[in-house]
Amino acid sequence: MSEPEKALAARSLASCHDCALVVRLPAGRAHVAARCPRCGAKVHRRKVDSLARTWALVITAAMLYVPANIYPVMTVTSLGKSQSDTIMSGAIYLLQHGMWPLALVVFVASVLVPLLKLAALSGLLISVQRGSSWRPRDRTRLYRITEVVGPWSMVDIYVVTILMALVSLGQLASIEAGLGAVFFAGVVILTLLAAESFDPRLIWDRAEASHARS
Amino acid sequence: MPEADGREHASPAVADAVIEERSRLSIVWVIPIVAVLVGTWLAYRAFTERGPLVTITFESAAGLEAGKTKVKYKDVEIGAVEQIDLSADLSGVVVQARLGREATRYLTENTRFWVVRAQVSAGRVSGLSTLFSGAYIGIDPSTEGRPQRHFQGLPVAPVVTSDVPGRLFTLRAKAGGSLEVGSPVYYRSADVGDVVASELDESGNHVTVKVFLRAPHDQRVRKNTRFWNVSGIDLRLSPEGLELDTVSLTSLLIGGAAFDTPKDQDPGGPVEEGAVFELYPNRRAMLQPKLTVKRPFLLHFEGSVGGLVDGAPVEFRGIQVGEVRNVRLEFDADTNKLRIPVLIELQPERIALNSGGAVVSIGMDEVRRNWDDLVARGMRAQLQSGNLLTGQLAIGLDFHPDAPPAKINWDAPIPELPTIPSPIEELKTGLSQFVKRLSEVPLEQVGNNLNKTLEQLERTLASANALIAPDSEAGSELRRLLRDLADAAQSIRLLADHLEQHPEDLIRGKGAE
Repeated sequence: MSEPEKALAARSLASCHDCALVVRLPAGRAHVAARCPRCGAKVHRRKVDSLARTWALVITAAMLYVPANIYPVMTVTSLGKSQSDTIMSGAIYLLQHGMWPLALVVFVASVLVPLLKLAALSGLLISVQRGSSWRPRDRTRLYRITEVVGPWSMVDIYVVTILMALVSLGQLASIEAGLGAVFFAGVVILTLLAAESFDPRLIWDRAEASHARS
Repeated sequence: MPEADGREHASPAVADAVIEERSRLSIVWVIPIVAVLVGTWLAYRAFTERGPLVTITFESAAGLEAGKTKVKYKDVEIGAVEQIDLSADLSGVVVQARLGREATRYLTENTRFWVVRAQVSAGRVSGLSTLFSGAYIGIDPSTEGRPQRHFQGLPVAPVVTSDVPGRLFTLRAKAGGSLEVGSPVYYRSADVGDVVASELDESGNHVTVKVFLRAPHDQRVRKNTRFWNVSGIDLRLSPEGLELDTVSLTSLLIGGAAFDTPKDQDPGGPVEEGAVFELYPNRRAMLQPKLTVKRPFLLHFEGSVGGLVDGAPVEFRGIQVGEVRNVRLEFDADTNKLRIPVLIELQPERIALNSGGAVVSIGMDEVRRNWDDLVARGMRAQLQSGNLLTGQLAIGLDFHPDAPPAKINWDAPIPELPTIPSPIEELKTGLSQFVKRLSEVPLEQVGNNLNKTLEQLERTLASANALIAPDSEAGSELRRLLRDLADAAQSIRLLADHLEQHPEDLIRGKGAE
């Protein structure tokens, strides 16, 4: 048995998620669902439809990113005077008032991180689709960073929700969440799901295949 | 090697998976599609619900902020300011405001915008909430008129907005008094409306005041209704005494107008909105009957006319028949004399005509004949004391049959009515004549004479005194004389007694028995 044949044989095997039975999957057939012969659970070698799902979620998140930055996130009403701020105007406001560390935090967590996440996921998806074998190790690390950093973007949403609950003094002062907060939460959640649905093993599959071809 | 064998050999313990067909299209693509649909719908809605952009020109942008200042109607937010620019000629600011879609049909030429700021003035306090929330733009929407997108902002909030039922009327006055926008309009001291505009008309001769009367009080305005100014205090020193007229403290501070229909007049029919009325300067002027026929006469008085002022009444036996128009000093170059002509106006309409109901219209000739007749019968003008307290004078007309004959000179530009001196004047003249005569008396001479007489009297008395002094010759003689007289009297008494007892002695004589 040659090396490629061995690899192929290994790739046609999978472990059942429920009962851990190792089953053989039919090779080379797309769009079929395999079930465990013992417990009946669905058996996959890789995450199902990983690329398509990730793409769909990334695209949706990218679309939501636009209104998330246009609409105000928070409306502060103080003594009858109300002020609405978008994420960007909030960061600028903080910067203008000399609170640049805070401004930096807001800018990084709420503007830069989601954007970079979207860029990183898109980059990973494209590289996997094109079957690139370029630095699979670094790309995997990038994926891990993306996954770890992702939830921190929710800080903004937490701040808004906590302030809303804390500052509700009727006519004196009140804080309301804007439409932008909803979109922003959507962006963060969708990027989290996208990162979750991406299967980093695909990076190595392609690298292996190209390696085998060469 | 057959495939089945190979599979068995390679991993004999591995079970084959159960294979099922499944859809080629992943359901996950529903998410972006839904996102696109929702996004498109939102965008479409935002675009179609995007209301009209209006431009409003204000004098100043004080308190306005682009992106923050709201446009509110009845405290409901209907739009926001998007941009504030200076106007091209730097005379004001151009505010661009985006309004809600539902506002479109209210944007007509009659719609008004103004900036609501905190305002404290005599009489009212408004917009206090803007102290905290900042200024906002108020709107008085109107569906009537042509649609419009460019507006001229009002400098202050309009007193009357179109949602208040009522009607506007126009008043014309010689002077605006202290009537300003927002001054109240009273009907029997009840605040029933406001002044909404006060401005000079084009000719500059009148002040046009627009008043808004709230329903249902606007129905009280009839054809013969009269408006008058109640601004401040109307304090007058008149022949009737001291008059004080004021409606309320508010009108004292910010002025006001009042209206009423004179009781003795037919109120007349209802009036249209925008009807024009005259604004009388005060209540007194309003109460005076409207007199159109005025007959001027000139009077010349000899004495002082101090206390006679313009507007003083001309009375016939206490009933006003006219008023003084003008009092001035005139120098007659021909005779080198100073004269005081008093111009009066007689108002024949004040005199009720008892003609059996028939309207009598008489020509000028007959008028002259009538007057000539009256003067011939002794009609004279006379200065009278109108008010003893203030010393104001009035002019009285009455018949003085014993007055020297006079005639009206109809050829003069203004006919001159003969006058006679007033009672006071007569008194004054008599008094002065008396004093004059008194001064003619030679008081010094009289005094001298009197002095001499007194000296003589003194001498006489002194000599008399010398006569009756106890140690004087005359005194002793007098005493002797008196003694002799007493003796004589004694003898006579004795004689009388004797004769009483012996009456025969009268014939026979004493001792002749």
